[in-house]
Amino acid sequence: MLQFRSMLPAIIFTVAYAVVSLSVSNSYYQLVLTLVPVWAVFGLSWNLLSGYTGLISFGHAAFFGIGAYTTALGQIYFDLSPWLLIPVAAMLGGIAGLLIGFPTFRLQGHYFALAMLAYPLAILYVFEWLGFQEVTLPMKRDAPIAYMQFADPRIYTLVALAIMLATIILTKIIEQSRFGMALLAIKQNEAAAEAAGINTLAWKLRAITLSGAIAAAIGAFYAQVLLVVTPQSVFGMLVSAQALTVAMFGGVGTVWGPVIGSVILIPLAETLHAEAGARIPGIQGVIFGFAIICVILIAPEGLFWKLRDLLRKRPSLKAATVPDASQPAKAAVTPFPAPRKRAATSEVVLEVRNLSRSFGGLKAVQDVSFRLHKNEILGIIGPNGAGKTTLFNLLNGFLRPDQGEVLIDGRNMSGQRPHVICEAGIGRTFQVMRPFLRMSILDNVVVGAYVRAKSEDEARKLAADAVARVGLSDVADRVAGELSTKELRLMELARALAGQPRILLLDETLAGLGHGEADEVVAVIQQLARDGITIAIIEHTMQAMVRLVDRFVVLDHGAVITEGEPEVVTRDNRVIEAYLGKKWVAHAAH
Amino acid sequence: MLRIEGLSAGYSAKPVLNGVSINVEAGQFVAIVGPNGAGKTTLFKTISGILQPSAGRITFGDADLLAVPPAQRAHLGIAHVPEGRQVFPSLTVMENLEMGAMTESGRRDWKENIERIFQWLPVLAERRGQFAGTLSGGQQQMLAIGRGLASSPKLLMLDEPSMGLAPSTADFIFERLIDIRKQSGLTMLLVEQRVAEALESADHGYVLEAGRVVLEGNNETLRADDRVRKAYLGM
Repeated sequence: MLQFRSMLPAIIFTVAYAVVSLSVSNSYYQLVLTLVPVWAVFGLSWNLLSGYTGLISFGHAAFFGIGAYTTALGQIYFDLSPWLLIPVAAMLGGIAGLLIGFPTFRLQGHYFALAMLAYPLAILYVFEWLGFQEVTLPMKRDAPIAYMQFADPRIYTLVALAIMLATIILTKIIEQSRFGMALLAIKQNEAAAEAAGINTLAWKLRAITLSGAIAAAIGAFYAQVLLVVTPQSVFGMLVSAQALTVAMFGGVGTVWGPVIGSVILIPLAETLHAEAGARIPGIQGVIFGFAIICVILIAPEGLFWKLRDLLRKRPSLKAATVPDASQPAKAAVTPFPAPRKRAATSEVVLEVRNLSRSFGGLKAVQDVSFRLHKNEILGIIGPNGAGKTTLFNLLNGFLRPDQGEVLIDGRNMSGQRPHVICEAGIGRTFQVMRPFLRMSILDNVVVGAYVRAKSEDEARKLAADAVARVGLSDVADRVAGELSTKELRLMELARALAGQPRILLLDETLAGLGHGEADEVVAVIQQLARDGITIAIIEHTMQAMVRLVDRFVVLDHGAVITEGEPEVVTRDNRVIEAYLGKKWVAHAAH
Repeated sequence: MLRIEGLSAGYSAKPVLNGVSINVEAGQFVAIVGPNGAGKTTLFKTISGILQPSAGRITFGDADLLAVPPAQRAHLGIAHVPEGRQVFPSLTVMENLEMGAMTESGRRDWKENIERIFQWLPVLAERRGQFAGTLSGGQQQMLAIGRGLASSPKLLMLDEPSMGLAPSTADFIFERLIDIRKQSGLTMLLVEQRVAEALESADHGYVLEAGRVVLEGNNETLRADDRVRKAYLGM
């Protein structure tokens, strides 16, 4: 479970903030002090969805406004207490999140962001049309506590702080659980996340539901603080922008980002508005915008990351030199590739039957059939554009075949979603590496373990085992951004291994490696095969492949032209023709 | 005309090229072949200045090419026909060709150049008003070559002109290149995966493997050498 220590900074900050706010008696300044945690929580809710998944929402005002109107209308029409209405608002916000997320998650990138923009704007006009242009909350002087209408404005600040602390703790818990890992994996590479066994749609829906609930709760509280709600003030563009601004200013993808952003920007905006705005109307917006532009130029990822990088600079230099010293020793442990000494059995674990897939007129894969036997290393080769990666995408579910079957242990799995196929025991690596650069190697690998692990501890254990199997235990705590290409390749291999696959599909695992480095990775792959994992590998570097694999399947123009042992295949005229051209073979025959 | 000596280059300290030396005489057609990842494209990027080498020299004519800023290299007379064609899809064929004629000599000789380009590649004349994005792959490749020629180059560098094309189309492109060479006497440097076709078209060939020149010679000697096959297939 979560350690108390990681929560300590948040608790200390909250207590310190409370102490400061208690000493402020001016009610205007106290309002500013209340709004800081309010916008921080709103930024945190945005961060929970957009910061961790990378799906930018321009429409978080939709949830905020739903919450605000829930408290306002609930009190006017049903005379309910805000203490009850805030949880109700959270529930409605969560439902709204689910309803909005389900259709909108079909979109990606900019399209998702723009679609999100539409929701608050649409709801804004609905509320105007319903006649809720300006809703004032009823005064309850007789029961201030029950109706959250405190005479002392400092109590609002304390309630806001409590909500903020709760949100920070919740975010921290999510960040360190498989939930947070899944979201980060989606942000880095949604396809890879699916391949690692993560049901991406389900996790994204959970994220937007929770995010919507928090945004609605804080919107409800905001209405209670101001006691008046207008469509523009809760559904408007500026409200959505506020969430983005505080989070991006402070730092995206961390609990501290929105808090830092809010602590700096909200008082700054208010002070400018009051002090400068009186003398030169409009100047506050200019200064505010200028401050934001400066931060974007100096710290494009937000203040938090910039500060952290500055603080880490010195220690990380030291950390980088220490493992380097031990590197030669490690290289000596993994010598040249050992000869092939596994007896590949005749048991078929994966069978492909007449698999075809076209893109428009292009037959990327046509009528491909082959068998993968337990314990063998199968090389899938062919010239550029032969259809190798398309074939892998068909095997692990990224693409649906037009025709044919993929049998895993005799069961037809063609057309299944990637995470389902991953659960069935097929792991995969990618041609283009997408590590989570700010995370340690171990954390990177844990993502792959969730498909098998039932608990957090088990996932950690599986990940540690996988890291050990590829020989990265010494550097497991280092941040992925500091690694060499070879170590990243091994880390990706470990991520696929952490899900305990029986079959591994490796997509150009040796690409971009020098000769010696390729040999080290080859040795690791051979050891995996000796440990009983069946491997299919796509590779261009034939020099390494001929020593690694038991058997080749050769593709050209999407079809299998031959299969067999390396010695035979590399002298096959059809293969030479595919690689070196028809004219070459014709000449050689003379 | 182009002399490369002991060139090493790569990305973020990872060497892709390791002491490569290549010589292209004026009027010569030189082909560089090699399997995927051998460093062919990296070599071209270094010549056109997209990549800074870590060691070695490149001289073009009398000029030290590495001292010339990348944007100026085209004006010296080096035309690069890039991998994957890279035509401007929303411009017409004619406009694409005009884009190639941005060099001083290209502007000066525009009239005769365009006449010759249309004569060599008549399909471009037929389709001069058509948007480049709507051309077939082979036609786009011809347009990319035409665009290179429009700059009045002294050296034409071609990066995998056969990529993604049907074999018969690729053959046609190679025939055009041989014709153009014959009629213009232009110096050409070709990078290709299609070994047989490339070596057949060229006067001299280099086989690149894992960032080194492992073999060189003319078509006859290279054809007879089984090491070429080994470079591609590993054994």
